[in-house]
Amino acid sequence: MSIQLIRGAARLLPEAINTDVHCSAKYLPGKDAAYIAQHAFERVAPDFVSRFRAGDVVVAGRNFGINSSREQAVHVMRLLGVAAIVSPAFGRQFFRNAINNGLPVVECDIAGIAEGDALELDLPAGVLRARERNIECRFAPLPPAIQSLLEAGGLIPFLKTHPDWKVA
Amino acid sequence: MGYTIAEKILGAHAGAPARAGEVVVARVDFSMIHDARAENALKQLEKLGAKSLPHASRTALVLDHYSPPPTPEAANTHIAMRRFAEERGAVLYDVGDGICHQVLPEGGHLTCGDLAVGTDTHSTTYGAFNAFGTGVEGTDVSAVMMTGCLWFRVPETIRIELHGRLQPGVWAKDVTLTMLGRLGAEGANYKALEYGGEAVAAMDIDDRMTLSNHAAELGAKAALLEADEKTLAWLKAHGAREPRPVRADADAAYAQRIEIDAAALVPQVARRHQIDDVIGVPEVVGQKIDFALIGTCTNGRLDDIRQAAAVLEGKRVAKGVRMIVTPASRQVYLAALREGLVETLTAAGASVEAAGCGTCVNITGHLITGDDQVVISSANRNFKGRLGNPRSEIWIASAATVAASALTGRITDPREVAGGTWRAAA
Repeated sequence: MSIQLIRGAARLLPEAINTDVHCSAKYLPGKDAAYIAQHAFERVAPDFVSRFRAGDVVVAGRNFGINSSREQAVHVMRLLGVAAIVSPAFGRQFFRNAINNGLPVVECDIAGIAEGDALELDLPAGVLRARERNIECRFAPLPPAIQSLLEAGGLIPFLKTHPDWKVA
Repeated sequence: MGYTIAEKILGAHAGAPARAGEVVVARVDFSMIHDARAENALKQLEKLGAKSLPHASRTALVLDHYSPPPTPEAANTHIAMRRFAEERGAVLYDVGDGICHQVLPEGGHLTCGDLAVGTDTHSTTYGAFNAFGTGVEGTDVSAVMMTGCLWFRVPETIRIELHGRLQPGVWAKDVTLTMLGRLGAEGANYKALEYGGEAVAAMDIDDRMTLSNHAAELGAKAALLEADEKTLAWLKAHGAREPRPVRADADAAYAQRIEIDAAALVPQVARRHQIDDVIGVPEVVGQKIDFALIGTCTNGRLDDIRQAAAVLEGKRVAKGVRMIVTPASRQVYLAALREGLVETLTAAGASVEAAGCGTCVNITGHLITGDDQVVISSANRNFKGRLGNPRSEIWIASAATVAASALTGRITDPREVAGGTWRAAA
């Protein structure tokens, strides 16, 4: 999968989502990822899972994943087929977990984007477009070190082909 | 333009100068996995399938959250951790040894200038020793054990200057609660903090660890203090490697500078459910409590237990109040025993339990609250239901305030009770 150019429909989530609460088994011990995926974000966006199609882009209000540290939230979002997440700001640990698991996360203004909008995300150029709304937002492109992790599908697949990863 | 402590430590470990906002690949000096995250970490390690993990010897596995294990699954995770440590040569701290953030410094695994990661947000604690400590997940630690390095986004820094000295009865906990009231929970998300000033210099190591640890509630990626003679003496006494102290440049670029009049601070408390709903203790005195808890990686150290014993010496906790003290580590427990603090607290009606994460969160069943019951705790988080019952409340304060409140059965300003202004002789 190329992560250079991502095209998908926008699926909106509100701000300050704690993914440990809404997308992990932290408070649902014993439930597996498939179960969590069926119920992801239902308390904050009841129709999220029914609308979501693999390849869609999550567009979340600021501080997505704040207070969250469970890597499982990203595993579940990958299971759903989330192509990328766009938010004005991410929780620190969630941001790490997303990169480590090959899920592109883009810090970008989301004003004006509505549910279902066709989005185009050009990661190397640092541009988010919603053509039908004439929206074009620029963001700082992810550094090359991060792009290579994403290209590989995450840190673990990356290390399998770069076992000698070290300080430059 | 000069560099912050965070930029200097990450730069030194990346082999090139690092600036806030950049991403670097940096050498990691020490890493930690605790039992609540071990299952995921071991799963990621299995996926990685590395034949050798040359850096496992610089990794500690700590059995503290499931201490003791409340379910067969947790006990089985412990079996897997012990086996992994044995086979791969990692350092193991078993049930009862203590909380990860206490046993790592005590074990001499950290020193000034280090870069350390752990599978826990409170890994910021190591900043008290002038080490960049930060929380990560299982994938990260797997990569560290295999390659010895990890990627980091270099954080911007907020510099907090604490002018003057804290008054007796006011502690680092009260400083952090004050900051939480000002910046809000996660108000420092992504950022590193640097604490400096006269009040920090006057603090002992225990209180400095609280300052760095509790920065996690502000969302901080790291919370760095500069090293002084107290730091160096402590590290030497605990067998740490040769320190490489790192100071910020005078012209370092900060995202924000905050000046606090430390001498004017009074004891603070975070009210039910929200760690940033902070108010001065004098404004809530009289609030009834049912439980008084002292412990956790935030405030379960010797100075915290001394504060409690100073208040409760020769007294009894109020009728109907249940008080639990959980030392942060076996070493802290032993020191408290030797000083007679365990006897003082036990005679006063408290239960002193084995070292570990204990009553911080409802994992082990150490403490389950009833409806409408109110807990005052020296822990770090008070989310609704954290102690197993969303119909109870958790209020957060210093060990001195918790002990004073245990004595009266109502939230009490420690400065108003005998022993409540105890402070270690300089």
